[in-house]
Amino acid sequence: MTLRSWRKVGTPMNTSPKLRPGLWDALVVLVVAALAVSCGWTVWDGQDRGTELTAVVSVDGAETERLPLKEAAGTERTIHAGGYTLRLRLTETEIWVESADCPTQDCVHTGHISRGGQSIVCLPARVIIQLEGGERVDTGVDAVIG
Amino acid sequence: MKLTTKQLTLCGILTTLALALSVAENQIPLSLAIPIPGIKLGLANIVTVFALYVLGPAQAVLILLARCLLGAVFAGNMNALLFSLMGGFAAMGVMILLSRLRGLSVYGVSIGGAAAHNCGQIAAAVLSLGNTAPLYYLPILLGVSLLTGALTGLMAACLFRALAHTDLMKG
Repeated sequence: MTLRSWRKVGTPMNTSPKLRPGLWDALVVLVVAALAVSCGWTVWDGQDRGTELTAVVSVDGAETERLPLKEAAGTERTIHAGGYTLRLRLTETEIWVESADCPTQDCVHTGHISRGGQSIVCLPARVIIQLEGGERVDTGVDAVIG
Repeated sequence: MKLTTKQLTLCGILTTLALALSVAENQIPLSLAIPIPGIKLGLANIVTVFALYVLGPAQAVLILLARCLLGAVFAGNMNALLFSLMGGFAAMGVMILLSRLRGLSVYGVSIGGAAAHNCGQIAAAVLSLGNTAPLYYLPILLGVSLLTGALTGLMAACLFRALAHTDLMKG
């Protein structure tokens, strides 16, 4: 950046902003939507399939536990991390955080996950529960949120 | 960079406003509807858009920096600082570029900023957790940013209209 343009930065803009959305704004919307779709394509579709559904628990970025859902079905796990406690429940097809004492409760609100590639993230405790493997299923956006 | 008393005062008020908006939006439980860590309306972005047009990029960056630092101090959470800085500066960079394009209105600028903010936050989550699992949320967050960006754009547009008669808008 040249000295002159630096000087220009910091002085108020004299042209007032456009306040009505136009075609160019639609282009921005299209670009963001295209990004979302292409990103969804790569992230949600690139999982290994055909293996047994396994929940991988990571704390602080390091893998701490692998739980094949078939074997661990019906059990409960407790994870202590970052000063918080998360209680996990597992069935043959699903895993979810039943309760946690973290302030945000995002992990509890995420609810049940049941497909490879899905994950439950708890930022305060720095815990990630990620599902790997499982049958190949089409991932619709509606199903991911629930 | 030299600030006039008026500019400095305005920067202070806008920083306060941004912090107040961040606190206020924490009361809106958007994460109940869409359970993704860190999802929010991004109301503080209205301040950034406003500052960008009225005060220029340099002061908008100052306000953003002050907002992120003070916000982290108030929350007592230095881990959150990484998230707000990466999100905030990604959004700022994109909005500075977009605001220079003549054809774009505040809506386009604001939507671009919201999308960039989410990308920055996901990048911070990937860095901080050392795992790419947060990328899973990016497509949904990008989709949501279309709505939240349009919403903050609408509010910024209302603000500019309401203040059109004041000497603020004339620089």
